[in-house]
Amino acid sequence: MRAGGPGFVGKTWALVVKDVKLELRARDTLPPMVAFAGAVAVLLAFSIPSSGNLSAPVRIVAGSAPLTDVLAGFLWVTVLFAGLIGFARTFEVEREEAAIDSLLMAPLDRSGLFFGKAIPNLLFIVLVEAILIPLFAILFGIDLGGSWAVLASVALLADLGFVAVGTLFSALAAQTSSRELILPILALPVLVPVFIAAVVLTSDLFAGSSLDEVARRGWFAILVAFDVIFITAGALLFEFTVE
Amino acid sequence: MEFSDSGRRLGWLGAAAWTAVSISLVLIFFVARTAQSAMGGELQRIFYFHVPAAWVAYLAFAIVFMSSIAYLRTNDRRWDILANSSAELGVVFLALVLITGPIWAHPVWGTWWQWDARLTSTLVTWLTYVGYLFIRNLTTDRRRGGRLAAVVGIIGLVNIPIVHFSVYWWRTLHPTGPTPANPTANSGLGTPELAAFFTSLAAFTLLFAWLLAMRARLGRLEDRADELEMGVVSGRRREAVVRARQVVTT
Repeated sequence: MRAGGPGFVGKTWALVVKDVKLELRARDTLPPMVAFAGAVAVLLAFSIPSSGNLSAPVRIVAGSAPLTDVLAGFLWVTVLFAGLIGFARTFEVEREEAAIDSLLMAPLDRSGLFFGKAIPNLLFIVLVEAILIPLFAILFGIDLGGSWAVLASVALLADLGFVAVGTLFSALAAQTSSRELILPILALPVLVPVFIAAVVLTSDLFAGSSLDEVARRGWFAILVAFDVIFITAGALLFEFTVE
Repeated sequence: MEFSDSGRRLGWLGAAAWTAVSISLVLIFFVARTAQSAMGGELQRIFYFHVPAAWVAYLAFAIVFMSSIAYLRTNDRRWDILANSSAELGVVFLALVLITGPIWAHPVWGTWWQWDARLTSTLVTWLTYVGYLFIRNLTTDRRRGGRLAAVVGIIGLVNIPIVHFSVYWWRTLHPTGPTPANPTANSGLGTPELAAFFTSLAAFTLLFAWLLAMRARLGRLEDRADELEMGVVSGRRREAVVRARQVVTT
């Protein structure tokens, strides 16, 4: 980083602590995100065949997608929607009391502000997944055996890119007249690569694959490339999104 | 004013564009031979509009990318106007691609749409730039809207190859026609067809350049109209203040 040194990290960390503290006191972002994710998961269950449960799979009609694909898609749609709802609130505190001016006066490179907002968002989405993924496993009879760690790393890699895009675009959306609506319109098309990679890898894990195929590992490379590109883009472009 | 001079240049550009369009129409409908029925027969001629429109759309988005960077660096309003004009045209031309494709595909493939790699990444790209237009139009302050849109304009282009690559990988099993790596593979295009194609490509590019210049000029005129309006408003306010002072003093 340009600003470099412990000063940059220390100041960024102070911003992270500030937002986490605010959330611990107000609890107005994470609990609604989790509740929303749970509600979506339950609703999605109504759209799959009578026994939408991997431990007792229904016969899938030839030509239709395997249930593992469908469930992996459900999981990531739920994560994306819950995440975007939460990320739309990224600058809510600053808006309410016009505190954005004070935040901008912080003696810190703008990329520090980006990380100061992105890290709490990352924390929120990881916590949502920590509740949602076990919930999915119970509701849909998913048994991952020893692959939990792999799924966790897939989720974390997907989250990094998701949060980078979500935080950058939430700063954009916060300045328009239809904040919560514009964020998904901007973010969802950009997130297509993350979504495909996460769904393909998760579906493989749901199907009991050990991810040995070289072709499948390529999806990890896509996730890493996406993360690197969008974390860099977010840090560089963030300064143009705030005054 | 320089308007008359730029207006004349614009006129020449328009004349060139429409001449090229007329020639390409003749080539497309009277010189290029009818394709095999497997490629859609007469309907295959839509290819001469479909592919040049796609080329122009991606050219437009490249211009959006470069002028967005230039705008963020220089804060010069002209770059912003160019980016906005180019994005609008890119969305229109890519919409033409997304409309002409299914018209051809329905009889030839037997379906309006396939989740094929190139179709999907085109649709995702189109949605990205629709978002670009949204963020600009949902911001009341024109300068702020320009800055926010520039960020989307940069991200949008950076993401095109990632989207294309991931979608392509996702649907490698789907049979497609000639691939970008091997564009003439079994395409059955002879000299008349290639002449029609490249003339159409030139015609679309000229047409785009003309429309872009027109739209950018419109953007500059909008700015000018805004300035004049502000001047009128502040002038009226000044008159009102003067009148109020007179009332107070008398």
